[in-house]
Amino acid sequence: MHTLSFTLTLEGVVRVHDAVLCLAKFSEVVSLEARKDRLVLTALNSSKSAYASFSLDRNVFFEKYSFSPILTKGQNATDITESRFTCQLYNKALLSVFKGRLGDVRDKDTAVERCECYIQDQPDKTECRLIVKMVCRHGVIKTYKLTYESVEVMHALFNRNAAKNTWRIGAGTLRSFIEYFGANTEQLDISSENGRANFTSYTEKVTNGRDVLKMPLQTSITIDNLDFEDFTVQEQLHIGISVKDFKAIVTHAETLQTSVTALYNFPSRPMQLSYNEHGMQCEFTLMTIGEYRGASETPAPAVVRHASPASAANQPSRQSPAQVTSIQKPTSMPPPTETASRSFTREPQSQRTQRPSPPPPKASLDPESLFLPLDEDEDRVWGERNYDDDEDTLGWNASAKNVSELNDMRKASASSSRLEPYPAWPEDPNSRIAPTQRISDITTLFGD
Amino acid sequence: MAPNNDNATSLFSAVSGSARQLFLLLRCINFVSKAQVRITKEGLRFTVEESQVMQGVVFLDKALFTTYTYSPHPSNDDDDEEDAEAPPFQISLSSLLETLQIFGINDLKDRWSNRESGYDGLTSFPSRGERGAAFDNRVLGMNGICRLSYSAQGEPLCIILEEKGVTTTCELVTYEPDFQEDIPLQKDAIAQKIIMRASWLHDAINELSSTSPTRLTMVSSPTAPYFTLSSSGPLGSATVEFSKDPQLLETFHVPRRTVNTYKYSLIQGASRAMAIAAKVSIRSDQQGVLSLQFMIDVDGGGVSFVDFRFVPFIPEEGEDEDESEVGEAEGFE
Repeated sequence: MHTLSFTLTLEGVVRVHDAVLCLAKFSEVVSLEARKDRLVLTALNSSKSAYASFSLDRNVFFEKYSFSPILTKGQNATDITESRFTCQLYNKALLSVFKGRLGDVRDKDTAVERCECYIQDQPDKTECRLIVKMVCRHGVIKTYKLTYESVEVMHALFNRNAAKNTWRIGAGTLRSFIEYFGANTEQLDISSENGRANFTSYTEKVTNGRDVLKMPLQTSITIDNLDFEDFTVQEQLHIGISVKDFKAIVTHAETLQTSVTALYNFPSRPMQLSYNEHGMQCEFTLMTIGEYRGASETPAPAVVRHASPASAANQPSRQSPAQVTSIQKPTSMPPPTETASRSFTREPQSQRTQRPSPPPPKASLDPESLFLPLDEDEDRVWGERNYDDDEDTLGWNASAKNVSELNDMRKASASSSRLEPYPAWPEDPNSRIAPTQRISDITTLFGD
Repeated sequence: MAPNNDNATSLFSAVSGSARQLFLLLRCINFVSKAQVRITKEGLRFTVEESQVMQGVVFLDKALFTTYTYSPHPSNDDDDEEDAEAPPFQISLSSLLETLQIFGINDLKDRWSNRESGYDGLTSFPSRGERGAAFDNRVLGMNGICRLSYSAQGEPLCIILEEKGVTTTCELVTYEPDFQEDIPLQKDAIAQKIIMRASWLHDAINELSSTSPTRLTMVSSPTAPYFTLSSSGPLGSATVEFSKDPQLLETFHVPRRTVNTYKYSLIQGASRAMAIAAKVSIRSDQQGVLSLQFMIDVDGGGVSFVDFRFVPFIPEEGEDEDESEVGEAEGFE
């Protein structure tokens, strides 16, 4: 049993609303985690391919914050700082509690003055509830008692030290990009070539091209690397994430008017987007798709986009200062790069098997890179280390299985429009997805 | 029933300078399709009823009309009710509302700004009162002249709308009324009477919607917490508490604690009135029958009233039928 009570400032109420709104794009449940010095809201999407977390500093957002964990036997003093209260709530419930308070702040007579929250889980009470009390002017009090589920919260782990590709750019710039991404596009490919970074949104959904209006729209945005505040990315490395996630992140980042930092290693390894502003630490860990080849051994083939100059010449282009290019192609359009998922769904089996296996990860890479060792240093905010020793369930399984999950998700969404035979899986993983994880990783994962 | 008198003028006719005003008032009770209309000397009374547990009444006072004539036929051998009131009839409320807004209702702003600056919605913001058209009908408040007439029982209700030389004539079929009784509120046994700003009630009702409730519980008590609205649903419960601050609750007469439960969706049916009204008077009698009376400011000064009655979720529901005739628009005293 824990006692947790805190009072949010007005700004805190608005920030929590923004955060919950963003989390709603990932999952329908929000995990709440209270610790001694911060309150954390997280969401993990259903396919476990995207994870979002918002950490609110107790000194910035709270007028009052008290969390006193009850120590059980066998815990020592160091456990106090690590002990936490976790629960899960429906996003919908939280959203309706914190909804639209921004309007209240401005003009309404019954504006919220402060927001008191506490957990009611005393054994003598019959109901366990998260109680949110909005105290408004004129003595109007709005009390919500929300049901919650007491569960252990899982956090995605990300090893910042192993990520060698990074860029940082103002959220406002990214916000202006995402407006050009078509509503139906699903994937976002990020790459860098010749000193220019390229963001391309595309979809693999419509392939037969029968319906003219439903043609996939591919939007490429190219910007100079100098426009980034920081840009260290391996040349010609294509990495794919979900447009929807990206939009949700950028939209939220823009409300804080901050800069977004991306950290990643290579495709099929997680990418982390993060920003830290006004005492709010926001981190998003996204699974990526794409095909990793060592840059030196197998130079990336000329990308489809550049190989077709004709399309670039006669396209009806929307030129914006950010050099936005919209390409609408008449038939099913190949994605900008040979991503794993594309080849997985469409290419004949024989072709795939002829592909050379990617070289093993470079020697400089720690084979355990994305799974935080137990004795990692303290700078990790999310490094959960006392997870009852089952830490491997917390990390990303970066093996090919995750890619298949991503594909499952995509297929499920595409199945309404088009059914296609689902290839038998996974008798021989090598025939479809180039392995990006060594067998040793997998064996450690499954505790062999 | 009353015989048709062919050579007489119509039973009722009225002209309003603002169809918009009528529309806004009648829209408050637009939760069922048919409304019962009773024409009296003082005005038009529109009543709607939902499942015999909720009633909404809009009274269009004759002050809302520029001309208002009501000439009931002398009740020769009628066994009708008192002082020769024409029997009520029903019309399709949705059709009436459709008719009243046939030229659009927010024309004052929109069409003007459109003419000034074309399509651009951002820059056209305060273009009202600029050059030209000082005597435009809209500036003079002459837009949407609306004429209502009803010649005799059984005849259609005729609505003529004029704007810029375009005339729309609409005849709405009238139906036999299918309910007569008002939900009775025992005025001599009022258990609570609270007057507050309607927007606050609206806000509170909206807050409660977060739990997707089926029932709304209203508790008023002479001690703190004075007035609470609460609901619960699968995701949790929500409560809105009002203190006794005179700025908040203008009038608060609660001799003893009362607890009543109503169907949430029905109360929400009054939310349109809550949104546009200035004040609301919340009364309930000892049986728990709830009356929400909304005072709505009318364009040219003055006020109109929209009245709602709700039957609570209690065993006494519908036990004794009080015959008391409920007067309309009795104000807040």
